Amino acid sequence: MSWRLFLQTMRWFRVRLAVLVLTGIAWGAIMPVIFDAFSDAFRDMANSGAIPESMLNIGSGSLFTMPGTVTLGLQHPLALAMIGVFATGASATAVAGERAQGTLEVLLARPLSRVTLYFSILAALLLASVIVLLAILAGMIGSSAMVGLVGELDLSQMPLVVLNGFGLWAAFTTFGLAASVTFDRPGPAIGLSVAWLLLHYFLEILGSLWTDVAWTQEYSLLHHFNPGEILTGSLEPIDLVIVFAAAVVPLVYALLVFPRRDLAAPA
Amino acid sequence: MLARGSIVVMEESAQPAVISTRALTKHYGSVPALTELTLEVRPGEIFGFLGPNGAGKSTMIRTLLGFLHPTRGEARVLDLDIVNESVEIRRQTGYLPGGIALYDSLTGEQVLDYLVDMQGREPRRRAELCERLELPGTVLRRKVRDYSRGMRQKVGVVQALQHDPELAILDEPTEGLDPLMQQAFYAILDDLRSAGKTVFFSSHVLSEVERLCDRVAIIRAGRLMAIHDVEDLLTRRRRRVSLRWRGAAPDPTTLPGLEDVIVDGSRIHGTLSGEVSGFVRSIASPNLEDLTIEPASLEEAFLEYYAPEPTDDATPREGNA
Repeated sequence: MSWRLFLQTMRWFRVRLAVLVLTGIAWGAIMPVIFDAFSDAFRDMANSGAIPESMLNIGSGSLFTMPGTVTLGLQHPLALAMIGVFATGASATAVAGERAQGTLEVLLARPLSRVTLYFSILAALLLASVIVLLAILAGMIGSSAMVGLVGELDLSQMPLVVLNGFGLWAAFTTFGLAASVTFDRPGPAIGLSVAWLLLHYFLEILGSLWTDVAWTQEYSLLHHFNPGEILTGSLEPIDLVIVFAAAVVPLVYALLVFPRRDLAAPA
Repeated sequence: MLARGSIVVMEESAQPAVISTRALTKHYGSVPALTELTLEVRPGEIFGFLGPNGAGKSTMIRTLLGFLHPTRGEARVLDLDIVNESVEIRRQTGYLPGGIALYDSLTGEQVLDYLVDMQGREPRRRAELCERLELPGTVLRRKVRDYSRGMRQKVGVVQALQHDPELAILDEPTEGLDPLMQQAFYAILDDLRSAGKTVFFSSHVLSEVERLCDRVAIIRAGRLMAIHDVEDLLTRRRRRVSLRWRGAAPDPTTLPGLEDVIVDGSRIHGTLSGEVSGFVRSIASPNLEDLTIEPASLEEAFLEYYAPEPTDDATPREGNA
């Protein structure tokens, strides 16, 4: 790994990262407030049968418990978009974008192997994704404390939440980077990475809304990151295995393909 | 110039060649980009790699630096294998890509800092290069996105040479430079040669090859057509000659070295190969009224390489390679 490249990549990210950290804190902070204000009303609606309970969930999350609210906040499209800026967007453009601009050639004219370049960029992307994840979690914990709900969360389990979240987003990041090293232009790489994320979101949501096909959730990586369950002390170790295995497969693919690819002429 | 069909013979040298390729071949799918290319670049020389657009010049350079993988053949740069030791090659090399792209969001100074930092060497020559290429601090502190093409090219030259590499590989380096900056760049290359550095550069500008290079390889459609000493080429090149006599022109067969002769009354037109002095001595006569020998150019010498389509069994000509 090249620390110089890693640091420079983090410098490229710094403005986006600052904006997303602030947005993430705000988003995280609003979730306990919503739970505090509306959970009873939602419960009443569900009990009255006016709205099916499944319709009040998003994926594996719900507004009926504080841990469920944490899950909901992290599976909400807004949270996916925030973390996905790095894990899906920046990863897909990281190599293909530089290649299309022609700057990859200038960069690789340095004594830098493609494997080193890959790991340096991957490390920066993972760090940025985890920082955004931590910002959302920090917002949730801070806000929970302010509204007096922090006692409903087992904060000793928080490292496992972060570990599981890291594995999940590492899976999307390595997929995006694998797409990035595969294509010479960023368009197809971004398209494929976003489609991959949307596919998993679709499978998760479909299974939660339509109980007859609840099995589809098992095929969604998002389903294998359930911070609500972890915060109640019921982490499924298989979830960790699945998300990390999903991260390793594209990583191995990229390490096989990238060093063997011809570097296309700049656009 | 030797007859077509002769084979390039590499001279034995005490020092290993800085660049040596053996039957280097690169195909893009089924499309050949380089075919059986064999050449050597000696230490301390400026070696021109000349060819029209699409001839394979950039493909050759990108293969030498490990950006492209050869289909067949082998090559060594600085006595390192281009496939397995390309990182070490790049550590000791300065590279200017053709039509260089820089990071638009950075200033020129930040680009140079970043790239030399990645190179892992001190920018020993940056200040001098910036001064010679008229890149003052005020310019370097501006964002690259505000640079003209020429300024980008100047930054490109500085990034390639600022760490004082043992070998400079430059892909069409004067592209976008104005004539004054071209002269400054030529002087920089002259200094590199004086310092014993090796320069390999591609170009399709014949005048700069003539001005700079010790030797030149001519490539067409991915095939090496010839390697020449530039000095030798200049000596051997053909010149257009016109003579006007008082009265009838003499028998042209008495004029040594004159070919393609056209007699037009008192005038004789033809082409002259080789040394001029012997020819001038032979025509010295009180009846010679006018003599024109057109300024020498490599262009005509090279054009003949580009005219016919190469055939599969085409073998490169040899100068004093």
